[in-house]
Amino acid sequence: MAVSYRSQRVAYPYFVVALALFVLQVAMGIWLALSYAVTMPQWLVDVFPFSTARAIHTNLLVLWLLLGFMGSTYFMVPEETEREIYSPALAYGQLVLLAATGVTALVGFVLGWTKGKPLLEIPHPLDYLIVVGALIFLFNVGMTMLGARRWTVTQGSLLGGLVFLAGMYLFNLPFYANLSLDWYYWWWVIHLWVEGAWELVAAALTAWILMKITSVPRETVEKWLYVELGLFLFTGIAGTGHHYYWLGAPKYWLWVGGVFSALEPLPILLMLLDAWHYLRNRHGEVRGHLVFTLAIGMAVLHMVGAGLWGFMHTLPQINYYTHGSQVTVAHGHIAFFGAYVLLNLMFFYYAIPQLKGLAAFDERRGTLAFWWTSLAMGGMTMAFSVAGVLQTYIERVMGLGFMTAQAQMRFWFGILVVLGLAMLGGVVLAATDLLTLRPAAQKREP
Amino acid sequence: MSTNTARRVFYLGTLLSLVLFLGLTVDTHRQLQTLTHADQLTDQVVAGKRVWHKYNCNDCHTILGFGSYYAPDLTKVYWRRGSDGIKAVVRNPERFTSWRKMPRAGVPDQELNELVAFLKWTSEIDTQDWPPQDQKFRAAAGRAVALGTSPGALLFQEKGCFACHRLYGTGEQAGPDLTHVGARLPYEVIERILADPSAVNPQATMPPPPLSHEERGQLGQFLAGLK
Repeated sequence: MAVSYRSQRVAYPYFVVALALFVLQVAMGIWLALSYAVTMPQWLVDVFPFSTARAIHTNLLVLWLLLGFMGSTYFMVPEETEREIYSPALAYGQLVLLAATGVTALVGFVLGWTKGKPLLEIPHPLDYLIVVGALIFLFNVGMTMLGARRWTVTQGSLLGGLVFLAGMYLFNLPFYANLSLDWYYWWWVIHLWVEGAWELVAAALTAWILMKITSVPRETVEKWLYVELGLFLFTGIAGTGHHYYWLGAPKYWLWVGGVFSALEPLPILLMLLDAWHYLRNRHGEVRGHLVFTLAIGMAVLHMVGAGLWGFMHTLPQINYYTHGSQVTVAHGHIAFFGAYVLLNLMFFYYAIPQLKGLAAFDERRGTLAFWWTSLAMGGMTMAFSVAGVLQTYIERVMGLGFMTAQAQMRFWFGILVVLGLAMLGGVVLAATDLLTLRPAAQKREP
Repeated sequence: MSTNTARRVFYLGTLLSLVLFLGLTVDTHRQLQTLTHADQLTDQVVAGKRVWHKYNCNDCHTILGFGSYYAPDLTKVYWRRGSDGIKAVVRNPERFTSWRKMPRAGVPDQELNELVAFLKWTSEIDTQDWPPQDQKFRAAAGRAVALGTSPGALLFQEKGCFACHRLYGTGEQAGPDLTHVGARLPYEVIERILADPSAVNPQATMPPPPLSHEERGQLGQFLAGLK
């Protein structure tokens, strides 16, 4: 089975770059865990501090996930609109621009060139180049959709999410003199990305894959898509308030943030029930067992990471003690993995076999990689959580000081180094498997 | 549920949340002026914020609880260390860290003054009493701990003595607990230690505190009174 539209091929280089950056991201993560667990010599800290490594780790995450979304979009849009991409050349150019900007930024971090804002360290004027890349992307996708005029809810959700995503990045561009205001709008980028725009993109990509592999009617899928998106945005937009408890904003954010974010697991729960429903009510075989496994895995870990681990520390009474501790780190890792890493892997495992013209491929290595990475991430989440509880109690409740708490947490960072190595193994396995897919073994005639 | 109902759920949910959020954002802008003492955002404070970004402090330290979790939160570091305490750590981090290191960034003095102004301004943001672990260092609490509001007690707080010493269970334990220091040492010895610690005890690791002659007398009187 080959691709239906020639221009879907532009997706492949996006996937390759994304996978390479993913491997680098995890490798840098191990370095971070090591820096927590052992004493780095002063001369090394002077030339390559933790802050630089952390900027690289997080920016690689954002960069590869976004390139994955973009590749997935370029793969999906031709089939959904039933026409070729408006300009494949622009799509390639955009990849070169974004990848080159990203790599320049990473090298710049090592040399101390940074905006100095966590997760959004890419300095002027590189951040303007990111905006240019995003505009090219939106133009290209928008023109394809406009030319086709075959509007569907899935397309709407995808395009809406992408415009929303690009729009929010603009709040990162100005310099804010007031630190509180700076963080207020920082969350317009970060929170409204991961609990707004990205959810729209994810819901669209997932809905599309589920339609493709389960034969559940479009009408059913898209109806639930409306409800999910409505709930995501209803809880997610005002839910931004759970980041505003302690940054100098008025007290009413404790109420708004608390109430709305308590509701945030609802749309994810609905998504999970949805996936279960499709599994039960599918007609005939599921096409692509591994893709379906990844879809279910994503729904479950999205619920665990964003839903449970998010809910756990979102109420102000608890957040007062856990805010800015390793509890946040535990939530961040499992939520990104469950919601967005598995989404990308699911899409890659759906699209890459077609891009390689494989009707059926050997799913054994991919299945192993899914379980391997998921278990490693599960273990990492538990280790971060134990460290987080220790920190919360020793540093914040008992008030014994930051380093006293860190000394007790050190053991768990040692465990994290080991789990990180396991994670790296799983990620390398997934990446090599995706780039060297083999046809499924022919069933022997009886 | 029909597709039409589903669509209505979508538009209604999104719109309600958006209107509430934007409305509160407008009001937050208004209230932030007082809650953050925005009138005290001097050029020096803003320059200090740029220094904060320039050295990427925020990818190891949290501030307002945001950033990286590798090093202590700096929202109220001005309460904990005071102006001179902060400067001492940034100048010679290797003297203040043990098994987790901070880079020697070589921050020039002017930038350091700006950074301190920024951190002082930050410590005055009304954060609803967050973070919990630093509440005992707030100026009022510190003075209460230091028994009264004498000039010496104030100096103890502002010169960052709490960064190494403990008074009535508050403060760090890098140096001796000073709760009853007046019972152990007479005023004259305390005054000499404040002038140059190594002159009294050659093994002392305490840096000479930057005090004027008058301040040294006030702080010495305060400490000698702690019996």
